[in-house]
Amino acid sequence: MLNRERTPLTGRRVQLMATCLCDAFYDDVAAATVEVLEHAGVEVAFPEGQTCCGQPAFNGGDWPASRRVVRHTVRTFAGEDPVVVPSGSCAAMLFHGAVLEFEKEPDAPAVEALGRRTWELADYLVNGLGVRTWPGRYPARVAFHRSCHSRGTDSVAAALTLLRSIAGLEVVEFGEAEQCCGFGGTFAVTFPHLSGAMGQLKLDHVRAAQPDVYVSGDMSCMMHLGGLAAREGRPIRTLHLAQVLRDALRGGEAKS
Amino acid sequence: MTDDRESILSRVRGALAPLHERAPLPTYDSEIAVLRGLLAGRDLAELLAERMRRVNGLALTSPAAVVAHLRAGGHRHGYCDPALWPDLAPHFADGFTVETSFDRTRVDDYAFGITRAAGAIAESGTIILHDRTTASRLAALAPWVHIAVVSRADIFGDVTQAVAALGDDRNVVWCTGPSKTADVEGILIEGVHGPGEQLALIVP
Amino acid sequence: MSAQAIDRFAATLPAETRASVYQSTKTTHEKRTRLLFDQFPDPDRLRTLAGEIKQHAIENLDTYLPQAEARLRANGAQVHWAGTAEAACAHVLRIMRERGATKMVKAKTMVSEEIELADYLGRHGMEALETDLGEFIIQIDHDHPSHIVRPIIHKNRREIATSFEREGLGAYNDDPATITRRARHHLRHKYLAADVGLTGANFLSAESGRIALVTNEGNSRFSVAATRCHIVLVGIEKIVPRDRDLGILLNLLGRSATAQDLTVYTEFISGPRDPAQPDGPEEMHVIFVDNGRTEVLAGECREILRCIRCGACLNVCPIYRQASGHAYRSVYPGPVGAVLSPLLLKENFPQKADLPKASSLCGACHEVCPVNIPIPDLLLRLRARAKEENVPSPGTPPMAPWALLASQPTAWRAALVAGRALNVLPTRLIPVPALQAWTASRELPAWRGGEFRRWLKARRRPAPPAAR
Repeated sequence: MLNRERTPLTGRRVQLMATCLCDAFYDDVAAATVEVLEHAGVEVAFPEGQTCCGQPAFNGGDWPASRRVVRHTVRTFAGEDPVVVPSGSCAAMLFHGAVLEFEKEPDAPAVEALGRRTWELADYLVNGLGVRTWPGRYPARVAFHRSCHSRGTDSVAAALTLLRSIAGLEVVEFGEAEQCCGFGGTFAVTFPHLSGAMGQLKLDHVRAAQPDVYVSGDMSCMMHLGGLAAREGRPIRTLHLAQVLRDALRGGEAKS
Repeated sequence: MTDDRESILSRVRGALAPLHERAPLPTYDSEIAVLRGLLAGRDLAELLAERMRRVNGLALTSPAAVVAHLRAGGHRHGYCDPALWPDLAPHFADGFTVETSFDRTRVDDYAFGITRAAGAIAESGTIILHDRTTASRLAALAPWVHIAVVSRADIFGDVTQAVAALGDDRNVVWCTGPSKTADVEGILIEGVHGPGEQLALIVP
Repeated sequence: MSAQAIDRFAATLPAETRASVYQSTKTTHEKRTRLLFDQFPDPDRLRTLAGEIKQHAIENLDTYLPQAEARLRANGAQVHWAGTAEAACAHVLRIMRERGATKMVKAKTMVSEEIELADYLGRHGMEALETDLGEFIIQIDHDHPSHIVRPIIHKNRREIATSFEREGLGAYNDDPATITRRARHHLRHKYLAADVGLTGANFLSAESGRIALVTNEGNSRFSVAATRCHIVLVGIEKIVPRDRDLGILLNLLGRSATAQDLTVYTEFISGPRDPAQPDGPEEMHVIFVDNGRTEVLAGECREILRCIRCGACLNVCPIYRQASGHAYRSVYPGPVGAVLSPLLLKENFPQKADLPKASSLCGACHEVCPVNIPIPDLLLRLRARAKEENVPSPGTPPMAPWALLASQPTAWRAALVAGRALNVLPTRLIPVPALQAWTASRELPAWRGGEFRRWLKARRRPAPPAAR
């Protein structure tokens, strides 16, 4: 994966890829990401033309459709500045998935170049900028969701480094944490029984750990799990890592 | 009856022809697969005994202990490799029937079989059988108890060494504990087709 | 109904079966992980190395197959080549007829399942008896294996006890030890009466012509101790270059399959029995089986030919755990099966093009694979192939309109605002199958399309924040 072949960072200017989910549903996550990056001394640009990373069509097997979106994304995030995205899944699409579907395309080098400068948020903060501790305070028991697209990356360790450094915050472990929650993009709607069963299992494990809040670096998993929990009338409180980091700066849990 | 040799090889060549380059054979040190921490500073016979226990095998160091084990288990009728029998016979007192040929028509008569091992692997608790040193494949397999006589000098430290010493025997069998299955509900049961008890008699 | 076949199958799986499949796969997976990480400082290095060895082997089959053949012949074995399942079965039948043989004892081999050998021999008047306990139970029940390593993972002891009683193997008794003892007694006399022993091969060393064969029960040992003729079915992808490579692969196979340092019996067989040995085969036949493998080699998923059939990807797979093996309608279930089964169908690929969809692409299979096969990438390639071949995919939303929208920023921003309709319309009235499938079991969060962009603009209007 190209996240292992990055050129070292020089400046402190990034392009934010907000993700389509934050664009449509989770505006506060994108806002928190901006505030967190700015707190870390990073100048954040937001290319207005951005839409989606192209993953839905890629996973669905419609690679021509996906490539169309990826080409748009490559054009939108032009230049040399790194791209930071508050999603391990969208990041992996750009540094791995897109590369796969462009193998035989003439513009593969441009896609690879984008992949090399794309960072998931926690990975960028910890391994890109060298942030090891996060200031502020967040008195809560936090269960951290390891999203599957972070496998084989440094994102989970990075997120845990940040969370564990926050005053008052306790990270609680839960069973089978490495297992998938069952979201899986179109899988969630084409395999609804399996998706739901996997989600229930995840919810059982998380609830058993009795966290105050369930935190992830990917809102897609949280949309699925939070949606399942809400439907059965036992909602769980889900937040993105960026929201926790931002709220810690404000001294504790925010309204959300 | 046509043989598909040429058509298969031609499809293989056709499949590989478009590859710009082929994956190279990696160079590596077999040490990567050795449990060095386990082996460091250990007497191999002791380690073999320890690792055999871990897989429910049993290593003994005297014929008397073997006889006592068989007596305790009620295993009174068995087979012994004729080349081993002169040395072992004095330890088998009254009450044992030991044959030096294996009659396959009476397979159920033999409760134990004693044969020579070609070696052992301490790391994994494994007994090594070769066709040339095993007097009868069936006698080493069919009885409930198999006792393999291993010379101390033939114990390898690790799997890698044992692979390097496979030699030219046509049938090498590594036995790591008794025959077992977990097919029924994942519950471990020993003695499915082969021995329910795997012993080693370690001799000087 | 928009759900796919595997999902429908999983939904109807008895709760008891699901629970037992889940528990045993989870236990095996956890034991495997503990063992590997306790014993090796960096198990991933071993997996990567093993993958490189196998990748090299399959990309040099043109060298290694003839080399293995020559070695086997020099060792006194006969070598046959079978392009198809039918050809492989026909070789076996011919060998049996030439010897006047009628009875075969079979060890567990996946390739024999793949070519449906036992049925073929039965139709031609031969008896082919499965001797692996699980496979024996599958055979008397006319059932199908549901796991590569644990064929009857879907059955409980009561079902097995009932089958044994029906087959005259003693009065009903569901104690696993008693079941095993009865099978031991019954099968050993079958070995001794058989003419031919058939096994597979886990590996074949091109250097020595040695096959390496692993079992826990010892049934393959019995087959080659009791009979006079040994037939080996080996898929052409089982080749490894040298004996020393077997050391790496065997160290990974037992640990990955069943969390054992080594499987109980590892047999290295390079020819008929030694002249001084009274027991065992005087004839050894090795059949190289293609049956679709050369087509896989020619394609973009050739890494799947590295597979050593350990079942680790099944054990860790959240889909397999919930759906069990029969959901995959194939000899090879689970993640590896979702790649291999449709590929082995060659031009009939569309019949099983749904299997690669049955994955959340979580990547756990890649993470545990002892030969480091990037299974999720291969699943994705097959999804792309299914789409190219226009194989229908129930419930999958059409992506072209979405792609059009997502490559036109103005339209995209308009859609973000228009999406607010979702907040006021009752979702059950919106005829979008994906939306219906989502909301059948989950709430949809409030649509807040465009809010972030508005926030950002408002925040930046007075004075853009300077970098600190």
